[in-house]
Amino acid sequence: MTVRGVIALIPDACTSCMLCVRECPTWCISLQAHPEQVVDEGARRPRTVNVLDAFAIDFGLCMYCGICVDVCPFDALEWAPDHDYGAATRAGLVQPMERLAAWLAPP
Amino acid sequence: MRLVPRDEWRTVLAALHASGLVYLDLLTAVERDAGLEVVARVVRPGSAAAEVIVAALPADDLRIDSAVPVYPGAAWHERETAEMFGIEFTGHPDPRPLLLRTGLGAPPLRKGTVLAARVVQPWPGEFEPSRPDRAGSPSRRRARPLGVLDGWPDEGGRP
Ligand code: SF4
Ligand code: SF4
Repeated sequence: MTVRGVIALIPDACTSCMLCVRECPTWCISLQAHPEQVVDEGARRPRTVNVLDAFAIDFGLCMYCGICVDVCPFDALEWAPDHDYGAATRAGLVQPMERLAAWLAPP
Repeated sequence: MRLVPRDEWRTVLAALHASGLVYLDLLTAVERDAGLEVVARVVRPGSAAAEVIVAALPADDLRIDSAVPVYPGAAWHERETAEMFGIEFTGHPDPRPLLLRTGLGAPPLRKGTVLAARVVQPWPGEFEPSRPDRAGSPSRRRARPLGVLDGWPDEGGRP
């Protein structure tokens, strides 16, 4: 059974493809990333990858629809069971990447 | 599902109520191309018996009889449906808005209503990771949020 407590992020799996950000109906996901050149051994030219700098979900807006989890082509978003992430201020409900990653259930 | 002429709405509901479907499970509206549809589902408590009835309202005359005289529990459903879709339930005993402030303007659940928050707030999806410095640049083809009408926000986004 899926426990719809909170949405966690696996930063290493995220390719900054922007799909979740663009599909989220409440516009509560934001992401910062930059391109970097990676030189593979034996490759003729370097390839460009997007490096994730920041990722945040505003749980003051999120309606837990799960669309972001469903659309992520890289399974970088996951439901996690945590629920006690209340905050005293509105801004405190915006959870940064580090917190989203810490929510992952231990394997 | 059963289509009911709008003028017979309350009569049909009264007949359903008399047949034992005394519990109003749902009352809401759906927007279609030609206008709106009011939908109600009534059930018989303690059994699987249920009926869904639908009445079509033309876009230029969004009025229907209130179900409250038959199902008092319809009162809040109709107040919400009225404010969200702009439907008038004639004969409702207390037609105040349920959730919204009065005088808010366009009913928020109609497809033609542009939500003000969407116009004033920057869309996070506009950011482009491969060109982070160019986000929001007017020369870029604009990635448009789903469900936002053409011409938004520059031409007001009205259909
Ligand atoms: S669950 Fe829905 S509202 Fe919440 S971040 Fe994901 S897509 Fe957005
Ligand atoms: S859809 Fe998945 S891979 Fe793409 S930006 Fe969102 S979390 Fe990252």
